[in-house]
Amino acid sequence: MKPLVQLYIQQFKTTLAMMFQYRASLVIWTIGQVLEPLVYLIVWSVVANSSGGSVGSYTTADFAAYFIVLMLVNQVTYTWIMYEFEYRVREGILSAALLKPVHPIHSDIADNISSKIITLPIMIAIAIIFAFAFHTSVAPAPWAILAFIPVLLLAFLIRFILEWTLAQAAFWTTRVSAINQSYFVAFLFLSGQIAPLTLLPHAVQILSLLLPFRWLINFPVELLLGRLTMVETLIGIGAQFGWLIVSIVLLRTVWRAGVKAYTAVGA
Amino acid sequence: MSEEKDNPMAYAIHVRDLSKFYVVTQQETGTKAAFQNLVHRRKVEVRAVDGISFDIEPGEIVGFLGPNGAGKTTTLKMLTGLLHPTSGELSVLGYVPSKREAAFLRQITLVMGQRNQLVWDIPAELTFELNRVIYRIPPDSYRSMVTELTELLDLGSLLKKPVRNLSLGERMKCEIAVALLHRPGVVFLDEPTIGLDVTMQQRIRTFITQYNQRFGATVLLTSHYMADVATLCKRVLVIHHGKLLFDGELSGLLRQFTSHKTIIIQLDNCKADLSNYGEIESYEDGKYTLRVPKTETARVTERLLAELPVIDLLVEDPPIEEVIARVFAQEEK
Amino acid sequence: MNYFRIFLAFLRVSIYVETAYRINFIIQLFQSLLNLGMTLGGLAIIFTYTNLLGGWQPYEVLALVGVYFLVGGIIRLIIQPGMEELIESVRDGTLDFRLAKPADAQAVVSLQRVEIWEILDIILGLGVLIYALLKLGEIIGVPQAAEFALMLTAGSIIIYSFFLILSTLSFWFVRVENILVIFQSVYEAGRWPVSLYPGWLRYGLTFIVPVAFATTIPVEALTSRLNWQTLAGAIALSIVLFIVSRIFWKTGLKRYSGASA
Repeated sequence: MKPLVQLYIQQFKTTLAMMFQYRASLVIWTIGQVLEPLVYLIVWSVVANSSGGSVGSYTTADFAAYFIVLMLVNQVTYTWIMYEFEYRVREGILSAALLKPVHPIHSDIADNISSKIITLPIMIAIAIIFAFAFHTSVAPAPWAILAFIPVLLLAFLIRFILEWTLAQAAFWTTRVSAINQSYFVAFLFLSGQIAPLTLLPHAVQILSLLLPFRWLINFPVELLLGRLTMVETLIGIGAQFGWLIVSIVLLRTVWRAGVKAYTAVGA
Repeated sequence: MSEEKDNPMAYAIHVRDLSKFYVVTQQETGTKAAFQNLVHRRKVEVRAVDGISFDIEPGEIVGFLGPNGAGKTTTLKMLTGLLHPTSGELSVLGYVPSKREAAFLRQITLVMGQRNQLVWDIPAELTFELNRVIYRIPPDSYRSMVTELTELLDLGSLLKKPVRNLSLGERMKCEIAVALLHRPGVVFLDEPTIGLDVTMQQRIRTFITQYNQRFGATVLLTSHYMADVATLCKRVLVIHHGKLLFDGELSGLLRQFTSHKTIIIQLDNCKADLSNYGEIESYEDGKYTLRVPKTETARVTERLLAELPVIDLLVEDPPIEEVIARVFAQEEK
Repeated sequence: MNYFRIFLAFLRVSIYVETAYRINFIIQLFQSLLNLGMTLGGLAIIFTYTNLLGGWQPYEVLALVGVYFLVGGIIRLIIQPGMEELIESVRDGTLDFRLAKPADAQAVVSLQRVEIWEILDIILGLGVLIYALLKLGEIIGVPQAAEFALMLTAGSIIIYSFFLILSTLSFWFVRVENILVIFQSVYEAGRWPVSLYPGWLRYGLTFIVPVAFATTIPVEALTSRLNWQTLAGAIALSIVLFIVSRIFWKTGLKRYSGASA
């Protein structure tokens, strides 16, 4: 275990150095991360305003709170690993990872967490500014705040493992953009990024219960907004655990198959 | 050559009837054909490696010589587990490379091409530290290794600069250094001097010799530069079209494949037509280079000395490059 | 016209490269349709809860989506690829090959790469736009159509100049590889009428990253929302920006070629 901990610490130092080199790109990337939930926030607010102040159980202020919290949850859980993998395959440096005696996922998780440790404070600051600008706030019960921590952690783990597994597609094809895009579109609708899931058509809501996405975004967000009962929260955590197991199994299967496919034809 | 050993585990590298075949699609040229490609394509089998066998003992430095596309890199990839063989037996330090066991990976290293493990935007020493942790190198061993490698490769302050700011030669030195931090028992080098200037090439060759002497590592290097192989390797494996053409000492290569000698002759202030004596290879500043069959060497030399005003005469083996080139050219036919 | 022939030459190379992989076409079509479907899906959800979005009718917003795809396609077809290539070639020194060509350097680098599959986005966008206009039942008179074409042209020139200015920065700063990404991220906001956004955002989308000129303003022309000030302003801005970007380009080029600025 100790060498693994050392790896994570070392990767943090490495990521820190890299981010310092790429600070301009980081700013641009942050703009994108902020703009998307902001746009939906505004659009839904306009809709709510012209519909007598609310849509479903969401008032204008509720929408603002929803999308601001979503922005943070998204920031904590998102990954860029599929682009990273595509880049590694393109540059021919994927082989280097295969020559190491450690599973490459560890470096990647460490890198992901490390960069968020740096960017999260900025995002929180932006969230606070937005909360003031859009006249909104959250007031969840203490138990909800406590439950939020493991829920967010699980969401991060599941999302990372799923997306890392998806990134393996680069082993089989260079045409990963279509696969990635399909994933992002499904994620957008079924995780609650486009609208709170309760506002979506019934069929879509059912679909979202069968897939992992809602438990990664909509669930944590609703929890922190104080919109869930304890029972609903427990069910949600159960679903998260279930998806965690599924995603780990998927990861191992796909990774093994991916290495096999890759080593059949080489770099 | 060593005596045949019954136990393949005694070798550092053991290869028997190794083969790797690919199936590739072909593309025609022309815009019309380009659209036809959308509908139908032709498939062709390529034999990258075709039944090669060899054994390498621990501590040997062996050179893998061959032109581009001969199968050298493919073989290296199979030896490091990056590529699955189509058929044949393969073991490195007693491990089957394609299994990619952690214990195996900790004992080998591969330097292939110009971009390997160094993380691009940060100083090389950060990648060093990362490897220290990944390969579980004990702190003192790490420190002494870094010191030694810095000295042998003359790294100086290169380790503190972002890798992207280093020149090609500097980067190669750092890549080689980071690859050896964990003191692997088997070192695979694919074209380690390609694209480098002459001084740098020499430095790296010297380094490899020193490293081998110091740590007793087995080194297998591929190259299409004769100078690499001639300086470093007592033993060469010549590969072309996926087949092993020769396995033995360099001097043996010359003996086996050359039937000619080179005579370099300098005449006293006149130009003569030497085509009667042998094949004229070149003429420069009054020096002729002739190519004559081995069997004729004595006779031609006698005639030259008798019939022409010779200032200087030298009989040599043809340049090794030429021999190899002819070997490959012959294989083409 | 010499430059048209240059463009054709680059186009031919692009076609050859792309058709080398037969599955490219299917994948590109799939992605374009997916992207369109995603946008339309979002639209559908919004309009189940309202009839008017910031004063815009559903089919007017649909027309906006059409223009968003149309202009997005134009940008990714011919504007962005050349600029990406420019930035890359400044970094690795291969720009010299382009400069050695016997034609105006700016034209060469601007036309040097064509992502032909973006034609799909252009066609889809056009289709959506026409459908929306038909549904709106508006008789698009000559003045609106003319204004639309004018605003589309002005918008394209503004976007092109914007890209050129950003890309020219690479002559001074080494690490600007990802700078064009800023447009991609911000362009997403162009799927909705810019008038929806709060003042500061509207300002940013007009004058900092000129997304509004690419999408909302041309559609405003089509739906008779355009006042003559905006029309004149857009035309003026396009001319000014084009000139400024060319001057900036020439300055950057001189610096690159070693001559004093």
